[in-house]
Amino acid sequence: MEKKISVGIADMKITRQEGTLITYALGSCIGISFYDPMIKLGALLHIMLPEKGRGNDSNVFKFADSGIQETLRKLGAYGAVKKRLVCKIAGGAKMFEMKGGGGLGNIGERNAQNVKRVLMAEGLRVSGEDTGANYARTMLLDVATGKVYVRSAGKPERML
Amino acid sequence: MAIKTYEEMNELEIDILKEIGSIGGGNAATALSSILGAKVNMALPGVEILGFNEALDHLGDPEELVAAIFVEMSGELSGIMLFVLTKEFSDEIMFRMLGKTNTDFLALEEIDSSALIEIGNIVISSYITAMSSLTGVDVELSVPQLAVNMLGGIMSVPIAMMGQHSDRIMMITGEFKIDGKALNSNMLLLPDVESLNVLMKKLGVE
Repeated sequence: MEKKISVGIADMKITRQEGTLITYALGSCIGISFYDPMIKLGALLHIMLPEKGRGNDSNVFKFADSGIQETLRKLGAYGAVKKRLVCKIAGGAKMFEMKGGGGLGNIGERNAQNVKRVLMAEGLRVSGEDTGANYARTMLLDVATGKVYVRSAGKPERML
Repeated sequence: MAIKTYEEMNELEIDILKEIGSIGGGNAATALSSILGAKVNMALPGVEILGFNEALDHLGDPEELVAAIFVEMSGELSGIMLFVLTKEFSDEIMFRMLGKTNTDFLALEEIDSSALIEIGNIVISSYITAMSSLTGVDVELSVPQLAVNMLGGIMSVPIAMMGQHSDRIMMITGEFKIDGKALNSNMLLLPDVESLNVLMKKLGVE
C-alpha cells in the first residue's frame, strides 16, 4: 500500500522517494508544499497564522514566517537545494463572512499574503496556487512525482 | 488566582464550567424544542482542553461536511460560540421547520440557510442569556454567520483566533438529542483565558 503521511495543524512533515504527504481541510490556514525534483524530496507545511511576532512561541510551524524558515532549514539538512525547490500553496479561505473585515476577519487572506511575502524573501517562487474563496481544501503532495492535488467538497480534485 | 493558560484550571473551576455549559445548554435545548415542536435534550456537557489536532480529532473527521453557525462574543467575555451540525441534524431541522426532505447540503436555498441561521441564533443566544444571568457577565454577540463546509476548515477559524497565544484551545461542548435521537450536533463555547478569569471572579471563585 502507498505510504500516506498526514500533516496536522501547525505541523510539517518531510519524506523522500515515495509516499504522499496530506493535510486535511485547510480553512483559513495555508498548506505549503516544497519539492526538490532532483532528489525527490518533499515537505508539506500547514501554518495557521501569518506572523510569529514578539512571542516566544515554541511551535514554529504555527506561523508562516517561522514555519517556512524552519522547513527550509530542515530541507537543506536533507540535501535540498533552494533554487531547485518547487513551491505550491493552498488554503487561506474566508470560511465565515465576518463583520468589520479587520483583525481576524480576513485571517485567510493575511495568511496567504504573508506566505507569499516570506517565500519571495527566501527567493522562492510560487508555481501553483489555490487560495481564497470560502471553502476548505485538502492538499496532497505525491513525493514520487512532485504532483500536488487539491480537493474540496463538491468539486473535482484538481492538480496545482 | 488568575490563570495564564487553560491547563492551570483546577477541578473546581472545570466543574463550574460544566455547570455553565449545562445551564446554557439546557436553556438552548428548551428554545430549540419550542421551535421544532419536538423533545430536545442536551447530553451532559464536557470541558475539553486540547491541542489543535486533538481538538479536531475529538470533533470528528476533518473532511466531513457540516454546517456551522458562528458568533463572536465581546464585552466582558471574549471568545467564540459555534453551533456545529451534521447533515442529518440539518435535515431534521429542514423537515420540521420547512417540511423539506433531501436538501442539497452544498447548495442550500436561501430559505434553508435562513432557517439554519435562525436556529443557530436562537440556540446560541439562549445559551448566552442563561450564562449571563447565572454569572452576571455582560456579553455582546456578533451577527451570526453560516458556513457549510469541511469540519476542519470551519474549525480553523476558532483555532486560529484562540491559538494566537496558546497551543491549546478550550471547548465547552454539548450535544443535542431530538426526540431521543442523537443527531450529531455540537454546541461549542470557546472562551479566551482572560474570560475564564472574569467568569471565576464574578462567581467568587478565588
